[in-house]
Amino acid sequence: MTRRVAVTGIGIVAPGGVGVPAFWDLLTAGRTATRGITLFDASGYRSRVAAECDFDPAACGLDDEQIATADRYVQFALAAAAEAVRASGLDLAAEDPWRVGVSLGSAVGGTTRLEHDYVLASASGSRWDVDHRRVGPHLERVFAPSTLASHVAEAHGAHGPVQTVSTGCTSGLDAIGYAFHSIEEGRADIVLAGAADSPISPITVACFDAIKATTANNDDPAGASRPFDARRDGFVLGEGGAVLVLEELEHARRRGAEVLCEVGGFATFGNAYHMTGLTTEGLEMSRAIDEALAHARADRTEVDYVNAHGSGTKQNDRHETAAVKRSLGEHAYETPMSSIKSMVGHSLGAIGAIEVVACTLALARGVVPPTANYEVPDPECDLDYVPRTAREMPLRTVLSVGSGFGGFQSAVVLRRTGAR
Amino acid sequence: MEPLLTFAELASLMSSRAGVAIDAAELERRSDSAFTELGLDSLGLLGIVGELENRHGSVPSGAEMCRTPREFVELVNQSMPAGA
Amino acid sequence: MDSPTKRRTALTGMGVVAPNGVGADAFWKATKEGVSVLDPISREGCEHLPLKVAGEIRSFDPASVIEGRYLVQTDRFTHLAMAAADLALEDARLDTADGSPFAVGVVTATGSGGGEFGQHELQRLWGQGPRFVGPYQSIAWFYAASTGQISIRGGFKGPCGVVASDEAGGLDALAHARRGIRRGTDAMVVGAAEAPLAPYSIVCQLGYDELSRSADPARAYLPFSADACGFVPAEGGAMFVAEEESAARRRGAPVRAVVAGHGATFTGTAGWERSREGLARAVRTALEDAACAPEEVDVVFADALGVPEADRAEALAITDALGPHGSRVPVTAPKAGTGRAYCGTALLDTAAAVLAMEHGVVPPTPGVTDVCHDIALVTGLARTAELRTALVLSRGLMGSNSALVLRRGDAPT
Repeated sequence: MTRRVAVTGIGIVAPGGVGVPAFWDLLTAGRTATRGITLFDASGYRSRVAAECDFDPAACGLDDEQIATADRYVQFALAAAAEAVRASGLDLAAEDPWRVGVSLGSAVGGTTRLEHDYVLASASGSRWDVDHRRVGPHLERVFAPSTLASHVAEAHGAHGPVQTVSTGCTSGLDAIGYAFHSIEEGRADIVLAGAADSPISPITVACFDAIKATTANNDDPAGASRPFDARRDGFVLGEGGAVLVLEELEHARRRGAEVLCEVGGFATFGNAYHMTGLTTEGLEMSRAIDEALAHARADRTEVDYVNAHGSGTKQNDRHETAAVKRSLGEHAYETPMSSIKSMVGHSLGAIGAIEVVACTLALARGVVPPTANYEVPDPECDLDYVPRTAREMPLRTVLSVGSGFGGFQSAVVLRRTGAR
Repeated sequence: MEPLLTFAELASLMSSRAGVAIDAAELERRSDSAFTELGLDSLGLLGIVGELENRHGSVPSGAEMCRTPREFVELVNQSMPAGA
Repeated sequence: MDSPTKRRTALTGMGVVAPNGVGADAFWKATKEGVSVLDPISREGCEHLPLKVAGEIRSFDPASVIEGRYLVQTDRFTHLAMAAADLALEDARLDTADGSPFAVGVVTATGSGGGEFGQHELQRLWGQGPRFVGPYQSIAWFYAASTGQISIRGGFKGPCGVVASDEAGGLDALAHARRGIRRGTDAMVVGAAEAPLAPYSIVCQLGYDELSRSADPARAYLPFSADACGFVPAEGGAMFVAEEESAARRRGAPVRAVVAGHGATFTGTAGWERSREGLARAVRTALEDAACAPEEVDVVFADALGVPEADRAEALAITDALGPHGSRVPVTAPKAGTGRAYCGTALLDTAAAVLAMEHGVVPPTPGVTDVCHDIALVTGLARTAELRTALVLSRGLMGSNSALVLRRGDAPT
């Protein structure tokens, strides 16, 4: 008998939306949280716009030790996990801890703090033989990317399978997909799944400057992220974290939990094409969509909403439009497809999980979030991108897709319970 | 006037910035081949543009979109006379 | 398609890049002889650091095995992974030309990423300015670099993944590949290779209490002995070609071993004694998954951290999980002679376990003479034995425990 996987809690730290209510309010209002970078002095950089979180760890319930030892992106995950567990109504202390797992993604992990301490150790880049006496404490926990899942597992007493996933910008979708597999296959009953990244630092901004992947639209920070719009000129770097409580459906039903939706399917493929480049055809993303739908036993005509990767680079939005049309056929033209990156930016590995949380809310509340800033159509992007205004409509099956450096192409299908 | 960028210099940049070994004479002979056929990907060309920007202050826009060595060398030399 | 549980995972190719040898033959010769290659660190910029001994790979020339552009465009950890993947693919003689590109996936594990490349680019940024950061920084430093490059270079479009984990992630990557095969992928290129010995990478590791500060290569890493004083870090790892077993046998590929079972748990960072229960549970889960009785385990490749309380917890976990057999079964830790290459370590142990079963030889634990725990640690000389089933154990500094059961390739199913 197949084990089904329910979403019973969600938590989020997003730009302009710390906590589920603020996040949903931002999305449904179509407000943008992109602004000039404040986290460091970005005056010497090509792209000076970002989507930053106004995050107060203490206000989010983190304790002094977590604040002292956990890196910013880990704190996002801790806050989101606490919110998700609270919302799920689970008493994790009463669960078998060996059946509780954690699966979290991050694209760049602790690079922000690693860079900060590098500057100290190298006397601002002046020496290769860095001085170990100048760095701050707990740097080893920053260096190890698994610190992310480890911190969250320790906070919630999880003793089951605990993993950190790092597949670039599909990390969040993949971490949720693997968590889904681990419950389906019987390795765990409950998994805290999601992702976090806090990449707004000089080295990350500079490396995206170097490949002109980020926007140069510094004069209009609020309007800088323009997915699918003909004027788009690159993505806006973001940060944040999101965690979902995934739970075996019968386990959730036995305790009378509210089931927000089910994870129905997941698939990921490599494009074997280029580390950053995308084909114009979108064959591999299309295959991920097809497999995820098949896994969920959903026909393509049942897809009610596509949450796009929609990063706002020229090539991505074209690639993705082609992939969705290849998979959904004529139905693609009738299906709303929006990019919340227009509002919360692109937080690399975290964004996939943030988008799955957005999809969960969309399903539960019957509202499709819009693509903000969308005004000028691009002939190569000819689908319904839900311009600027959220749309109320009943939803039963939604698809979230992602694409990442390294060639990763992933898709997750969420369904209302009973939709299969 | 000396051109700002010669095929020899471009060959040297392809090697140092992208690890693509090609000798100057061959690059000049194959200057109408696509960069990708010569083993240089889009990131490699961006790296070369970045290096020229750092040396000369600026490089004409669109340089990173050039398909072939000849297009690239001509664009850079037309828009940026030596000594500029 | 067969039911998922019927799709077994065979290892048909192996590629090793280890401090004691590049290539499975060189690695096995050194491993069997119990040669230790731990040595003072020779990397530029590391002379003044309080970590004195490591396991460096000195016989690896990336230019001789991978195209020149990768030397500029990627980090050493990816060079090592690509070289190991090439060796594994060659060993498996996997011909993908006729098949669907979606039939082959890639999964790697890493706990350190492209640290040397990253340090160079950080130095450009902070020493010269943001416009001096090169375009390849965006694809060389991050943890997904090796999976992406191997996928692109080989044309592998199947499921691609990256386990960014502590040491135990090496075994988790093998388990991940096995799940991919169970779910319908024909073959996975799987493994890990690490290169954590750039100066700033070492600075980042100095906070580990478990790190050996000894300056004497012969005394620095002596797991399970009274002189245990921590572990020595290393670089390297191994890649494998994992294939659905019946397809591998149909094409006449040599099945070197079968990945029969896996278990993973987490017991956190608050004390190694907690890993006793976590590791024992991982072993029980792996044995159950493999339908393997404890008595069938013929050899154990231990995690062997070299920290007294961690060694004690592991020795107890082995007997907790295997019962009386646990104090009789040969246990070994070849890594005492190479150091621990983070996620690469358990892959090297897996390679050693496969080779040990093929040769009927348990390799020794280099350097260790006195064993102060109740396990049958193989020291001194290698021991001849009929080996059908091997158990590989791994624990990570962030709290993960993992166990893998391997069956010899010709063992009856």
